[in-house]
Amino acid sequence: MIIKHLKGWALLAILAVSAPVIAQDAPSAEEGKKLYEANNCGSCHALDKKVVGPALRGVTDRRSEEWLIQWIRNNEKFRKSGDADAIALYEEYGGAAMNIFENLNPDQVKHILEYIKTAPAPTQEVAVTPGQPAEDNSNSIYILLILVAVFGVVLMVLSKVKNSLLRVAAEQDPEAYAEQMSKLPMWKRLLPKKLANMNTTVLSLFVTLIIGLPMAGYGYKFSISEVGVQKGYAPEQPIAFSHKLHAGDLNLNCRYCHSTVEESKSASIPALNTCMNCHKGVQLTEKYNGNVSPEIQKIYDALDYDPEAKPGEEYGNNPKPIRWVRIHNLPDHAYFNHSQHVKVGKLECQTCHGPIEQMERVQQWNTLQMGWCIDCHRNTGIDAANNNYYAALHAKAAGDIENNGNNSQYFGPDGKVRITPAMNGGLECAKCHY
Amino acid sequence: MSNNIKYWRGEEELNRDARFLASQKNEFNESLPLDEVLSEDGFEMNSNRRDFLKYFGFSVTAVTLAACYKTNVRHAVPYLVKPEEVTPGVANYYRSTCGACSVGCGIEVKVREGRPIKVDGSRDSAISGGGLCAMGQASILSLYDTERLANPLHLGAESKDWSELDASIKAKLDSISTSGKGIAIVSGTVHSPSTLKSIADFTAAYPGTKHVMYDAVSYSGMLDANLADFGTRAIPSYDFSKANVIVSFAADFLGTWVSPVEFAKAYGAKRRPDAEGGMNQHFQFESALSMTGTNADHRFPMKMSEERVYLSSLYNYMAQKAGATQMPVVKQGELAGNALKSAAEALWNAKGSSLVISGSNDKVCQQLVNAINALLGNYGSTLNMAQYSKQHQGSDADLEAVKKGLNDKTIGAVIFYGTNPVYNRGQEWTAAIASAELSISFASNKEETATACQYVCPDNHYLESWGDAEPHNGLFQLSQPTITNVFNTRQAQVSLLTWAGALPQTDADPFAKKGILSQKFEAAPYYLYVVNNWKSQGIGADAWTKALEMGLISGTSAAGNTAYLGNAVALASEVSSKAGSGLEMAVYSGVGVRDGAHGNNPWLHEMPDPVSKVTWDNYVALPKSLAAELGIKERDTVNIKAGGVEYQNVPALVQPGQANGTVAMAVGYGRTAAGKVGGSVEKGFDTIGFNAFAMGGGVSSTLTGVEISKGEATYHLAQTQTHHSIEGRDIVRETTLGEYKKNPKAGNDKAATHVYTIWEKRDYRKDGSPNHLWGMAIDLNACTGCGSCVVSCSIENNVPVVGRDEIRLRREMHWIRIDRYYSFVSAEASMTREDDVKAADASNKGEYSHWENVQVIHQPMMCQHCAQAPCETVCPVLATTHSSEGLNQMTYNRCIGTKYCGNNCPYKVRRFNWFRYNDNDAFDFHFNNPLGKMVINPDVTVRTRGVMEKCSFCVQRIQEGKLKAKRDGKSPNDVQVETACQRACPSNAIVFGDLHNPESEISKLYRNERGFRVLDEINVQSSVTYMTKVRNTNA
Repeated sequence: MIIKHLKGWALLAILAVSAPVIAQDAPSAEEGKKLYEANNCGSCHALDKKVVGPALRGVTDRRSEEWLIQWIRNNEKFRKSGDADAIALYEEYGGAAMNIFENLNPDQVKHILEYIKTAPAPTQEVAVTPGQPAEDNSNSIYILLILVAVFGVVLMVLSKVKNSLLRVAAEQDPEAYAEQMSKLPMWKRLLPKKLANMNTTVLSLFVTLIIGLPMAGYGYKFSISEVGVQKGYAPEQPIAFSHKLHAGDLNLNCRYCHSTVEESKSASIPALNTCMNCHKGVQLTEKYNGNVSPEIQKIYDALDYDPEAKPGEEYGNNPKPIRWVRIHNLPDHAYFNHSQHVKVGKLECQTCHGPIEQMERVQQWNTLQMGWCIDCHRNTGIDAANNNYYAALHAKAAGDIENNGNNSQYFGPDGKVRITPAMNGGLECAKCHY
Repeated sequence: MSNNIKYWRGEEELNRDARFLASQKNEFNESLPLDEVLSEDGFEMNSNRRDFLKYFGFSVTAVTLAACYKTNVRHAVPYLVKPEEVTPGVANYYRSTCGACSVGCGIEVKVREGRPIKVDGSRDSAISGGGLCAMGQASILSLYDTERLANPLHLGAESKDWSELDASIKAKLDSISTSGKGIAIVSGTVHSPSTLKSIADFTAAYPGTKHVMYDAVSYSGMLDANLADFGTRAIPSYDFSKANVIVSFAADFLGTWVSPVEFAKAYGAKRRPDAEGGMNQHFQFESALSMTGTNADHRFPMKMSEERVYLSSLYNYMAQKAGATQMPVVKQGELAGNALKSAAEALWNAKGSSLVISGSNDKVCQQLVNAINALLGNYGSTLNMAQYSKQHQGSDADLEAVKKGLNDKTIGAVIFYGTNPVYNRGQEWTAAIASAELSISFASNKEETATACQYVCPDNHYLESWGDAEPHNGLFQLSQPTITNVFNTRQAQVSLLTWAGALPQTDADPFAKKGILSQKFEAAPYYLYVVNNWKSQGIGADAWTKALEMGLISGTSAAGNTAYLGNAVALASEVSSKAGSGLEMAVYSGVGVRDGAHGNNPWLHEMPDPVSKVTWDNYVALPKSLAAELGIKERDTVNIKAGGVEYQNVPALVQPGQANGTVAMAVGYGRTAAGKVGGSVEKGFDTIGFNAFAMGGGVSSTLTGVEISKGEATYHLAQTQTHHSIEGRDIVRETTLGEYKKNPKAGNDKAATHVYTIWEKRDYRKDGSPNHLWGMAIDLNACTGCGSCVVSCSIENNVPVVGRDEIRLRREMHWIRIDRYYSFVSAEASMTREDDVKAADASNKGEYSHWENVQVIHQPMMCQHCAQAPCETVCPVLATTHSSEGLNQMTYNRCIGTKYCGNNCPYKVRRFNWFRYNDNDAFDFHFNNPLGKMVINPDVTVRTRGVMEKCSFCVQRIQEGKLKAKRDGKSPNDVQVETACQRACPSNAIVFGDLHNPESEISKLYRNERGFRVLDEINVQSSVTYMTKVRNTNA
């Protein structure tokens, strides 16, 4: 009887602990982060650095929430309304207008602001320790530890209760109690008395919960939900090529080296002869006491380069190709085409690869998970108006807007046609899997 | 009414054989062998709940732990110096000439990052016309064959150093030459001007050299006949597009004879009922049912030993009409229903636009054919002796002379180039080769003849070689390498020129020259040789570049006609001499494996024979009457003796259409040194089938005096004909030309019966993508059944080879199959569905004449991409879904392998991966080694075990085509997409395209009244339209 009650309590305890945190209406940083990414805020803004637009950290201190909501949703209208701060900001950035985001309602903007407010400060630059995930997992560990502690307390309370009850029972019928104790199996006798006295089912239940649950959680976190996810992967490369130097400081166009990005599925890692276009001359000898920079020397070694040889024969017979470590690894069953996204979709490299021009060593910036692809396909507009291929689709969308007004799925924030890849079959399986 | 014709795909289906019925009950061949597997490892099947929990717990933990494992570090190695023409991820296409056989089809090679992955016909080539046969398609895999010789051999030992080998060969050649003995170069037919020039240069250096050509399947009789009648030892070129009436005596001109791709193209165009100048009419006289015979309007089974008699009768008919002298009649050829007369009348009525051909290697027959064509005035129209074919020039007599020369030691050295006489001309060649002082083979693997030779100097694969070709007199094509040498091989021409000291000197040895940049194809010395050769013909640098781009040199064709000088009447004495009695055997080359030169190519073995649908074996085809006499049923074997050779326990196949009193057997099998796929005694791999060359096949197409008896053993042929039952539903439709002219919907006027649907309204024309709606049309009239599409699809879509045992279990993986349907011809034997019993009765009474006369329809069948697809409704995980462009999508990474979709597919086109076929040594074909994997199409997923797969309408090509249009800002109507099957089809039977574009060919075909959709009555709304078969039987 008593034991049965105990079981009930145990269940109750589990339920109480595992009840989900109740959702609230307050601005959520998590939601904000999703919106921030979905609307590609990151293509113009960084949190701690002025990019195309201003750095965003602390913006909530600089401006009022009301002001920000108006500015973010439609800065053009806001400026026309005569707000002095807005006009000043516009002029500060040389008249480069921010995009209009009327698709965001004020609550959603608040989510984003919450995210900006609470986003963790960068540890140091963007570079992270080689080969380690950039994402901070300490939070989840703490949660698990707390859970363990809670269960421990519950266990103690329950065993106390049980012992008291047993004591009562022993007082009432000492013989029966002694007999029961003698029946205990050997392994239980080895346990502390309090534990040994517990009912086996309850005991094993708690052992399972205390050890199993955290393990399962850990397993889920690192195996099931994150299979193959290498966000933050920044391995050491055979040549310490710096994108920060080349694409950032020197402001070279990405397409100069990744020349096939507009015609091929692969952006392609440039062949070493592309490097040699500059590095036949650029050797940084002034920095290395008259010697060629050791990193540049690696290119020469790879090509077996002989600067003294006559043109056409300067690359020798002992080349050693460079084995770069692949950072972005899509599974074989997912087809991705760079030209589709860069040439047709007119996306910036940074949309997927992050602030590559600031990376000393390249890291994987996004998860490259299917959900991430899908989010973007749902939320990014296609420039359908200027590509003859989409003429029929554009006409269909325009007709739909005429008929259904702003109820049309094609009704964009600026009142014009907005077509996302999702509206053009961009979520269908065989677009990427074949 | 044609609607009542009963179609059947095999005797077992026709007679409702018990094994057949049992097999059709189950969608898949057998349930999983779980009991077997588990009992092997000491598992107990009667596991209780606790065991279950143990295994379950273990599995969960194991999976969790396995998933925690770190991902491998992957590398990317870019070019050091990127070739300018290469864009990683984008294919380049190069024109070249197919080297799979001597026909010389112009091809287009698809190359990704420097490795060829697909070969298709070049549209500018007069020979291929854009199509390519199955063998040509499959020949790309020979490039990546691990059993190619990696180095030259001397007395069986590898020798890496060519110069050492050259020195010793040169010394021997010199001594043989000075001793006055002859040197023989034995090759297959060579028509490459540069190769012939290299041989001439070699001959100049060693004047005792004689170049001898022979064809494994010989055309000597025809060549000798033409030498007698025209003064030119050559086969004429044929123009089937001008032929309104074709009479063929056992010439399989659509499958294997002379230049099949070229002929199929022209024939296919004339095969449509609304073809320009009318649909052609095709008569076929033959003993074995050939693929060409299955396409004929009138097919007459006969004993080919009586061919001379029939041809002389035909000649006399023409002579009578033309007022020419008739031959003294020895015996009048007669066939049921006076067939010869009807053919003769049709021919005479189509005078000047008709064609008579014979597949015989008998000179007299071919001379009679020449005489008939001359009487009909066909020379200059359907036949052309000025622009004659150079595709087959072999001489059996010359080859015999070489053997004799070797045996009596007048020939001291013999060089084999592209030939394998030990395999296809008999074991005496081993002794003959052994008696030579010097024997060299250019074979690329250690095949039968190479094993007998002292030296093997492996030739390049044709995709690694420079060269040219002259398939017709004055018609030139070029070949270029598309990959650097895979192995340490050397082009045969270079070897000959090196030994002759005639190799042009480049600046230095290109590969010794310093630098990565110098390793270009143009640095090869033989390139210089070919270019110089053409420069001397007036082709300068610019013209050469242009020619290379086109793959051919235009504007050089010869003109004029050559007069017929023959006299058929003089042949009269020959006619009586060969009338046959007793059992005879037709020896033919199969459409896939042909003469066996590609015997180590798994794609060709896996492709079902167009007629019998047998894979991985040859067999003795028997007429029903003989089978009944010998008591032979399915899976029985026979002992057969012909040409002094007896084989025991040869698999027997009852072949409808096989003429009574005859049997048939294919050459190209029974290789003893082909390799792990085709069989090798040395390496311990079983041979495939039996060698019919050894019985005298190849030289003669008909063997007489054949003895046959029932064998003791049984054998299960891997035959696909009745896999995937469609339960006797109305699948194929046909009519006659007469009916069609009266009513274009003839044979096709059935209304859909069911209109209910479980879908919400699905109208992809209206509600789908406004850009595209994909559809396909297949013309049953044009489809010859050749199987080129099957191989092409396998290459394009990384379809694995599964092997004989798996096919026996009905587990072939082909995404497209060609269903072959038989029906009886003659009125009394025609069987409607109600006549089943009657027919069975007739069989019991021993009346088999109707078995000789069957009609055939070939129907390519692949996923029909139904708008209301039954597979989509039953998938529990939504792994198969519909796209807005009308495609039935298959998502492998979502599939969990329930196989419900396969069960529910009315067309039986879904294939389940029972095993992981890649990296699996149990399937030792090409997917399990790094070299064989080079042929994999990088744009298509390699499927793993446990998922369903099926035709995707080549969605990777669709996506590529769309992307190109998007990038260029072109309209969706400008998107050019061809599926792999369509691209390969030699007769243009398959058309694919966008139904949203009203001007597209596919839209026009969809409006054609001949079109019908298979199983339209179940309202699945398929996206594939078939064109009703129209037979020209009562024009």
